[in-house]
Amino acid sequence: MNDDKFFAWLDDELDPADAAEMQARVAADPELKRLAEQHRALGAHLRSAFDPIAEAPVPERLEAALRPTAQVIDFAAARRTRSMPALAQWSAMAATLAIGILVGTQVPRGSSAPVEAQAGQLYAAASLNRALDTELASAPAGDVRIGITYRDQAGEICRSFTGAAGSGLACRSGTRWRMKGLFAAPEGQGSDYRMAAGMDPNLAALVDSTISGEPFDEAHEKAARDKGWR
Amino acid sequence: MDQASPFDDQLAALLPRLRRFAHALSRDAADADDLTQAAIERALRSKAQWQPGTRLDSWCYRIMRNLWIDTARARSRKATHEAPEEEGLGVGEDPRPGIEAAVDLHRVMDAMSRLPDEQREVVALILVEGFGYREVSEMLGLPIGTVSSRLVRGRTALLAMVGEQ
Repeated sequence: MNDDKFFAWLDDELDPADAAEMQARVAADPELKRLAEQHRALGAHLRSAFDPIAEAPVPERLEAALRPTAQVIDFAAARRTRSMPALAQWSAMAATLAIGILVGTQVPRGSSAPVEAQAGQLYAAASLNRALDTELASAPAGDVRIGITYRDQAGEICRSFTGAAGSGLACRSGTRWRMKGLFAAPEGQGSDYRMAAGMDPNLAALVDSTISGEPFDEAHEKAARDKGWR
Repeated sequence: MDQASPFDDQLAALLPRLRRFAHALSRDAADADDLTQAAIERALRSKAQWQPGTRLDSWCYRIMRNLWIDTARARSRKATHEAPEEEGLGVGEDPRPGIEAAVDLHRVMDAMSRLPDEQREVVALILVEGFGYREVSEMLGLPIGTVSSRLVRGRTALLAMVGEQ
């Protein structure tokens, strides 16, 4: 018998007429019938062994490999037009922060520090506050670059940003930007590396866990700014 | 961002399946995830070459398969019985919970790993990933008769190895 045709029948690859013919042959032949059953069981066995891989959570590093693209595109223009001046405050802050979400201690004091603590919360200040208020991802200027802008699950607008020594996420709280996370750049890696490598995986995870819907596009981002980020 | 996101979203949705295919190809969990990562990176870099309207999944599977062939070739030039360099850096996690599940996976993977490469990829694409003969023939650039005969030989050998247990 023609093996290829038998298996093509088993895999639903035959046209209806050939399939009906093969079906009849299998029905009349106990040996073929048994073979068909064995191969169906084998297929099921293979799928039951491999399917759980597709059902398991995808490791973070693979998710992270996917995320940077939007950022890389946004930053490409920035990379061409200028290089970042290193910001002393950012470096100082990054040095004192553990990677992860800030707990509000050891924040540098002073009028030009990019964050300030108030009633146990951290808010953007100085140049960071100005950047969050006014800058668009599509038109980077100054020493803080805006990444993505989106609405979080509570309905507030959030914006990711990158400075010379770290990146973070801030969400609108009244008329201020409350810090949701700050992540130091890996030791010895400047902003050029960050642009090439895309969003910090910790920041990407934070965005993922808070975002509702899609990030704003250019027009949406501009309209949101014009309405005062409400 | 707008024009990029449908591609990225589709690619993200494909990730679990690509990972499954990588496990079938490379037989080792750590290698499989390395291969998946390499395939994602290659797909993102080659984004412009993908033609909207054609199947993104076939395109990505082909990228992965070609990468894997390159890797396998490079590996076979090294001493075959030496542990790969990266083994000490990270032991792959079996993505499945429970010991029993791991045993099943091992048994089938063991049988799969004893198949010749060209049979294993066809078995994985058709019996596990659910592609049709025609799709696989286009993906691998092989005549459909070659695909179907490799599949017959592969599944027959697998049945001999797994079916008896």
